[in-house]
Amino acid sequence: MEFGTPLVEMKNISIAFGGVQAVDDVSVDLYPGEVVGLLGHNGAGKSTLIKILSGAYKADSGEICINGTSVTINSPRDARTNNIETIYQTLALADNLDAASNLFLGREITNSFGLVNDDAMEAETREIMARLNPNFKKFASPVSALSGGQRQSVAIARAVYFNAKILIMDEPTAALGVHETQMVAELIEELKRQGIGIFLISHDIQDVFKLCDRVSVMKNGQLVGTENVADVTEDDVLGMIILGKQPEKAA
Amino acid sequence: MPDTTKKQKLRFLPTGSALHRLSALLTLLLLIGVFAFTSPAFLSVNNGLTVLLQTSVIGLLAIGMTMVIITGGIDLSVGSVLALSGVIAGLLIKAGLPVAPAMVMGVVTGGVCGLMNGLIITKMRITPFVATLGMMMIARGIALQLTGAAPISRLGEAFGWLGNGALFRLVEMQDNGFPRVIFPGIPYPAILLVIMAILGAYLLQRRQIGRHIFSVGSNEEAARLSGVNVDRTNIWAYTASGALAGLAGMVLMSRLVTVQPNEGVMYELDAIAASVIGGASLMGGVGSISGSMIGAFIIGVLRNGLNMAGTSAFIQQIIIGIVVIGAVYIDQIRNRK
Repeated sequence: MEFGTPLVEMKNISIAFGGVQAVDDVSVDLYPGEVVGLLGHNGAGKSTLIKILSGAYKADSGEICINGTSVTINSPRDARTNNIETIYQTLALADNLDAASNLFLGREITNSFGLVNDDAMEAETREIMARLNPNFKKFASPVSALSGGQRQSVAIARAVYFNAKILIMDEPTAALGVHETQMVAELIEELKRQGIGIFLISHDIQDVFKLCDRVSVMKNGQLVGTENVADVTEDDVLGMIILGKQPEKAA
Repeated sequence: MPDTTKKQKLRFLPTGSALHRLSALLTLLLLIGVFAFTSPAFLSVNNGLTVLLQTSVIGLLAIGMTMVIITGGIDLSVGSVLALSGVIAGLLIKAGLPVAPAMVMGVVTGGVCGLMNGLIITKMRITPFVATLGMMMIARGIALQLTGAAPISRLGEAFGWLGNGALFRLVEMQDNGFPRVIFPGIPYPAILLVIMAILGAYLLQRRQIGRHIFSVGSNEEAARLSGVNVDRTNIWAYTASGALAGLAGMVLMSRLVTVQPNEGVMYELDAIAASVIGGASLMGGVGSISGSMIGAFIIGVLRNGLNMAGTSAFIQQIIIGIVVIGAVYIDQIRNRK
């Protein structure tokens, strides 16, 4: 299914922190309407790699292309200009602010006098939350008062609201219950249909097999390999994660 | 939940913070009641205006301090910056500059000190406590060095206008040739405080910069990942705090009609106390200008009332210390449940 120009190409990305080579010459790509899982142990470099795409870190070397054009991403703001939205594992919410303020943080709706328009932001938030999580009612509370699932829906709403073309999800279901995990899975299907490309970071192999089209495995900062989910078994992928070995191709 | 929390426009604040402000306001009213009972002169128009005047300097400092505290930082330099701003304005007047532009330069001096604080904190990655502690010594040192630790006096009558003037002052000439003050007027420092407090609250609640200040103090990493320019937000807050310290310096020196390089020692602690009594959290992300103004007036009324009751300055220190700890303790209890 890999035709045409990839939505995202990360080519030969490397980054080191102090003496530690966190990401070492890794290349991954992502096509529209595709979910690519990034698997690996803790500290394998998945999150670091993805933070380079979302603008939280700057790569020491390598190139990022969006729709075939090389782009520079120096800050989360740059990433957003390229329609890249990220849902962080830590959710990156400002605990003392309410859902609407968090959703629009850094991109507040202002009126012609430059005043923050709380009413408009809350109305928009209510609208998107009605779609994502109809049970969500706590619009006036600071997000510190919300449950894990509710916080997750705020983080997801923030990513989805601004018409992302590329979505990065870092452990999106880690803190969720069964019902909420199902909600995220349905959301991912829906976003795929809209042609959005999704990087899904996880260490739950079953999750990845259920949700992803391809899977890229990292170990010790290096890319072990990228496989179509349909062509490999869970054991193959486990082997890649633990041993860092490419599965032997049948035929 | 009390109804007051629902009426708050600042919905992103924890619902308890309105409660805290309400309790602070009640404390203030209680204090006024107690002092009015113990000293009949306390509840007079004249004394009310004196309290306004006395509180205006701490109030101005507390506005800037609140913004800085909401970002999760602290500004220990405001007392020294206040003195340095006064010294610069005084020296400029001595050098022949008219009073108004000299005072503007005084405020600018404060802003520059604040900007330096902001740059040191964000670019050199030095914690606010250490950075502003350094600036506290540097600014005080410059103020003392420039003046040789001597006060600058004979600055002209115009220099005293801001600190001593009043709006709607009614003076009647009596038959015996002596003036009689019918209404002492609203002191300019008090008017200035109200204007700056409204401006500060407006910036904090209705502008993007205010929202960003709250987000930085709430979760700096989240703010950065959300595209908030964290460095710029911090620099903005410290610059505002410095400029307000400069303005407070103009008010204080003008009231004395003399520039004292030794003025303002420990004022930063009063400003911090005012913010904290008013519900600001030193952890960041929580606070309000209105709360800090109530806090500043609690300190002002306490000082004034205890003075009128003849309490010694040392006992006053002890009482204010207890009030600060008590205010934070109440806040802690509230947050725990």
